Amino acid sequence: MKKILLILIISLPFLAQLAVLPFVNRIEPVILGLPFLHFWLFLWIVLTPLCTFGIYHLQKSKGGLH
Amino acid sequence: MQGNLTALSITIFVILTVVLIGFLAGRDKSVRSSVEEWSVGGRRFGGLLVWFLVGADLYTAYTFLGLTSTAYSAGSLAFFAIPYSVLAFFISYFFLPKLWKVANHHKLTTLADYARERFDSKLLSALIAIVGVLMLIPYICLQLSGIQDTLQVAGTGFINVKVVVITSFLLVALYTFFSGIKGPTYTAIIKDVLVWAIMLFMVVSLPIIHFGGWNPMVDQIVKEAPQLLTIPNSGPKGIPWFITASLVSSLALFMWAHAATGIFTAKSGDALRKNAMFLPLYNIVLILVVFLGFIAFLVLPKGTDPRFALLSLIQTSYGGVAQGLAYSTIALASLIPCSIMAIGASNLFANNIYRDLINPQVKASRLTMITRGMVFVVIGLALLFGLVFPSALVSLQLLGVSGMVQIFPAIVISLFWKNQTREATIIGLLAGLAVTFTVYATGTSFGIYEGFWGIAANFLTVLVLNPFFVKRAQASSTPVKDYLFNQPAEEAHPERRGA
Repeated sequence: MKKILLILIISLPFLAQLAVLPFVNRIEPVILGLPFLHFWLFLWIVLTPLCTFGIYHLQKSKGGLH
Repeated sequence: MQGNLTALSITIFVILTVVLIGFLAGRDKSVRSSVEEWSVGGRRFGGLLVWFLVGADLYTAYTFLGLTSTAYSAGSLAFFAIPYSVLAFFISYFFLPKLWKVANHHKLTTLADYARERFDSKLLSALIAIVGVLMLIPYICLQLSGIQDTLQVAGTGFINVKVVVITSFLLVALYTFFSGIKGPTYTAIIKDVLVWAIMLFMVVSLPIIHFGGWNPMVDQIVKEAPQLLTIPNSGPKGIPWFITASLVSSLALFMWAHAATGIFTAKSGDALRKNAMFLPLYNIVLILVVFLGFIAFLVLPKGTDPRFALLSLIQTSYGGVAQGLAYSTIALASLIPCSIMAIGASNLFANNIYRDLINPQVKASRLTMITRGMVFVVIGLALLFGLVFPSALVSLQLLGVSGMVQIFPAIVISLFWKNQTREATIIGLLAGLAVTFTVYATGTSFGIYEGFWGIAANFLTVLVLNPFFVKRAQASSTPVKDYLFNQPAEEAHPERRGA
């Protein structure tokens, strides 16, 4: 279960910042003063560290870090 | 174009202060006692210091000037730098701590050192060093043109720009020679703080000055230049280019000698894990800075040289003091990374070209001196090429990332794949370089980033050829290979030897 979660969190930043780009490549809606494409990229600047943080904790709880 | 005396004085004052701090950082003689002390600070830097150092390393004058100029001329393509660096730090989480551990345990100071020990191959180490130095010198030249453009905008009519550029670079070379990595580390803190403060100041004030605020600015871009706000769907540089350029650049980032120098200063693998988490946040400023290129597009007269987009925007928008602070920030963002890049290139040259290929018997004290002395050669070459033959470098600059990424299998994959062989890795590296250059020279990239074809050929070659050599690789072993693969987990070493 944890392994599936791990793989999911690892692939998320790649999917969000590369694979889905053709679908977020648009101006509307403008959110927080940013056109949608830029808002999306901005969002992942913040979410990617959270993914890393999650992985760090999953690995630590498994005792996989030494 | 006439400069501004207040702005110029501030810029020169800040540069001189930072150079002085660079020298003061080397007061203690121990900083130059060995290659390990001089180039990676004896691996004693904590998380925060490494964060500043790597941040200082990667967010250079070229980042700010180059991205705004791309935004000015090619719109949202410039934003490829965001996923690129965010993913680079994310990927680094998975291999840097391991690489750091091996380097620490076996006293390695360059990536080429690692490849030599991992594969028992001086040929591979020299190849990696040659690629590293060859790609890094043009990159130093880019920094040089950054400070040159800045001084030109600030000081035309007051100073001889070339003389000042040469003087400031020689001063940087001198303090790097003297203080080693300690020099750029302390000055990096000043640079990073200035970068954050000044870039935020510009991001807030420029939209207010020209449009009355951020939202009116975005409204106006949407109305007048919507083509800037999305990535073209096809064409030579469209979505496929954007995606592959981001991916390949993110794999390449920590293959650069200066980035490797930065990470080897860390005192523990955990410092690097924390860095991987916090470094993406650096991009919060960067993404907003790219919008300054759009402001330049709307505000500056048509026909402005894109290269000067940000600098001209600063000049037309601010009074002397604010101009001066902005210019000094860009000048520092060019000088400090230069110092770290020079350390990285010198280290590669002395350790992996001079010692591994030419004189294996060299004494440690002499090698330290050669490594330090190489700083002058590296910066001298960069000055020579940058000022005398600027056009000869354009191709190498464009190919820098695509070239550097070719050592990824040798450095990163080999940390995880026990049976990876020396022969397949070397041929893969050469094939990757050959394909990259061919695609670039013939212009047949099909809308995909050149380095992507290169790294694909590289991976494929390694996979296909590896089975032919695997028997011998299984039979032989090296201490680094043993350390990576034959160590029972419960006997894992503490992060620092003797700690």
